[in-house]
Amino acid sequence: MSPEKAKSPKLKNRIFLGALVIFIFVICFLLSLSLGPAHIPLKQVAKFLFQGRVAGEPNSTIFWQIRMPRVLLAILVGASLALAGGILQGLFLNPLTDPYVTGVSSGAALGATLAFFFHLPTIPWLSLFALIGGLLTLVFVYSLAKKGNIMNIYQLLLGGVTLSYFFFAMVAVLMIKSGKDLHAVIYWLLGSFSGRGWNEVKMALIVLPFFVLPLFFTDELNILLQGEERALELGVDVERVKKILFFIAAFLTAVAVSVSGIIGFVGLVVPHICRLFLGPDHKKVLFFSIFLGASVMCISDLLARTAFAPSEMPVGIVTIFFGAPFFIYLLRKRGGFAA
Amino acid sequence: MMELSEVSFAYDGNPALKNVSFSVEKGAFMGVVGPNGSGKSTLLKIMDGVLRADAGEALLNNTPIGRYSRKELAREIAFVPQSYTLEFNFTVREVVEMGRYARKGHAGHRQSVDDLLDDLEISSLKERYFPELSGGERQMVVLAQALAQEPELLLLDEPASHLDVSYQLMLFDMLQKLSGEGLTIICVLHDLNLALLYFERLLMLSEGELAALGETESVLSPEMIESVYGVRAHLHRHAGRTFLTFSPRSVGRRKERIHLVCGGGSGSYLMRKLIDRGYNVSAGVVNAMDTDEVTGRELGLPMAAEAPFTTITEESHEENMKLIREADLVITTDVPVGSGNIRNITAVRQAIEMGKQVWVIEGLEDRDFTGKAMEMLRGLGGLEYFRDSDAMLRELSEKWEG
Repeated sequence: MSPEKAKSPKLKNRIFLGALVIFIFVICFLLSLSLGPAHIPLKQVAKFLFQGRVAGEPNSTIFWQIRMPRVLLAILVGASLALAGGILQGLFLNPLTDPYVTGVSSGAALGATLAFFFHLPTIPWLSLFALIGGLLTLVFVYSLAKKGNIMNIYQLLLGGVTLSYFFFAMVAVLMIKSGKDLHAVIYWLLGSFSGRGWNEVKMALIVLPFFVLPLFFTDELNILLQGEERALELGVDVERVKKILFFIAAFLTAVAVSVSGIIGFVGLVVPHICRLFLGPDHKKVLFFSIFLGASVMCISDLLARTAFAPSEMPVGIVTIFFGAPFFIYLLRKRGGFAA
Repeated sequence: MMELSEVSFAYDGNPALKNVSFSVEKGAFMGVVGPNGSGKSTLLKIMDGVLRADAGEALLNNTPIGRYSRKELAREIAFVPQSYTLEFNFTVREVVEMGRYARKGHAGHRQSVDDLLDDLEISSLKERYFPELSGGERQMVVLAQALAQEPELLLLDEPASHLDVSYQLMLFDMLQKLSGEGLTIICVLHDLNLALLYFERLLMLSEGELAALGETESVLSPEMIESVYGVRAHLHRHAGRTFLTFSPRSVGRRKERIHLVCGGGSGSYLMRKLIDRGYNVSAGVVNAMDTDEVTGRELGLPMAAEAPFTTITEESHEENMKLIREADLVITTDVPVGSGNIRNITAVRQAIEMGKQVWVIEGLEDRDFTGKAMEMLRGLGGLEYFRDSDAMLRELSEKWEG
């Protein structure tokens, strides 16, 4: 049997699944553009998409100034968190891993809280403070885990989690000190796309190359599931791969958090759902996590702004409310991390 | 192709290898043995570059291992670990294809993954999930993964220690075949009998040092095994095979000597039992090549021996008496007595006369084909009769070993 022949049904299957997840993503995207406090019919959505700004149409401004950047941001953040989670779960061989164990998110939260504290809760300061906080934490956690030329995964994990607690304690102190801004800080921490515009989208676009880069490391990630030593024996430059992937995941997380706050559960659950349905192969897990993460975040944000309209819920609450029961159901039904 | 020169390695100050030097030619099929903690696994990890030597160098084709990138090295050296866990649902085919990683973008596989699985007779497992396989199946798949690297050198770390006998043989037969096809193989193994069965050359490590390197039977001599493992070993040749047996380690050597008057296989059981209990054992007169003589020789006993099928001569009788004089106890087994070995009864009589304690297995009259044996022993005190060898052993443990 030639290798081509043996592969073809698998390849077909893969293309079908790929098409399916992209289709789901497009549906979610269009629905999110259409639904909201101001309903924009799908026909009109299509018109705007093809013609750009249409002068005289009342919905045009809402669509381009409010709806579109918000949905795009949700997509970028959802995809970033899910991808980062997928990478880190594979790298740490730990099912409880989500992007926030890197400590990067709490660093970003501290940065954002500082922005509130110094009365700079405006664009671009807030996001910038958060991003700087996240990236500084990334470097700090990495240097904690590095010994010689070797990055110890467990120290990385423990260092990240410990720093998270530490930074959140600092956030709490700052929150109490900042008094009347308390509400704003809490709201930011819970994560939201409310009031985000093109500035945040432009900032978040920096993640795009980092969506593609991990897809070149899927073989290495798969081999690393056999343990670092086996990966070395099979020819993987383990230290280099670990460093690259850790930095990618942490960077994605830092950017996502800095533009949207801390939105829980997507980074944990989406890669697991992909694994449950598609198996452990990172070629599939990472690719699907990107699109499924984007879709889930789109829909979550849609629910956040429509469920209790006209008031809005933090999207981080929505992801947990819907994510947790669904995930528990899936786990009961289909087995765990490595099943 | 692989050369180690004065390699030393320590784990946090605990030396694991000390000044180990040797070289392995292309195509070699070499086993590595040694007690637990003697540095076998460390040695393999130095050879495949997972560990760096603290001192000395490991050279692959005259180039230090450290100069190879992991990918280059994985094309030269493959490793089969003792056990391997992968809890994720990859199919066997996917697992084996991971072995191709270092060859991606390098044209020219000698063999497709399908053919490789065929060769290892595990094609039927191709679409099965790895975690569902039995231990034996897993180990064959890991071997396939290593072979998918198409290495020049295959290193194995106790690959068979979790396998049943059928998979053990399957694995080692496969290794032998691969060696015949030119693959260089270095295999750490615990089972010294497997080493005897399959390997022509062995390297023995002891406390991190090279204890021996050479032909298998010379490396696995009982003296060598006792000095390295601290265990009394006995090398046997039987049914065209060479194999080792071991005496229990918990029993120390005793000072008493027991002499067996035996022959024809009647004494083999006691020889072994007494040796295992730590006694000094001698025997006589036995005919060369008879079962007792062979057993005694393999156990390294001092013996008075006569040429095959020959009547005991005065000379061997004297030798026998010499051994009896040194003995604390003389045991006469249920060896049949004929004209050829009637002198052994004379020896027993003389033993009693010199005041030795003599034990005999009951029923001498039934196995006496000369009709004189009973007569010769009649009226002598100090003779004790036992029902069988086990009864004697029981008496021994009560009397001396209490």
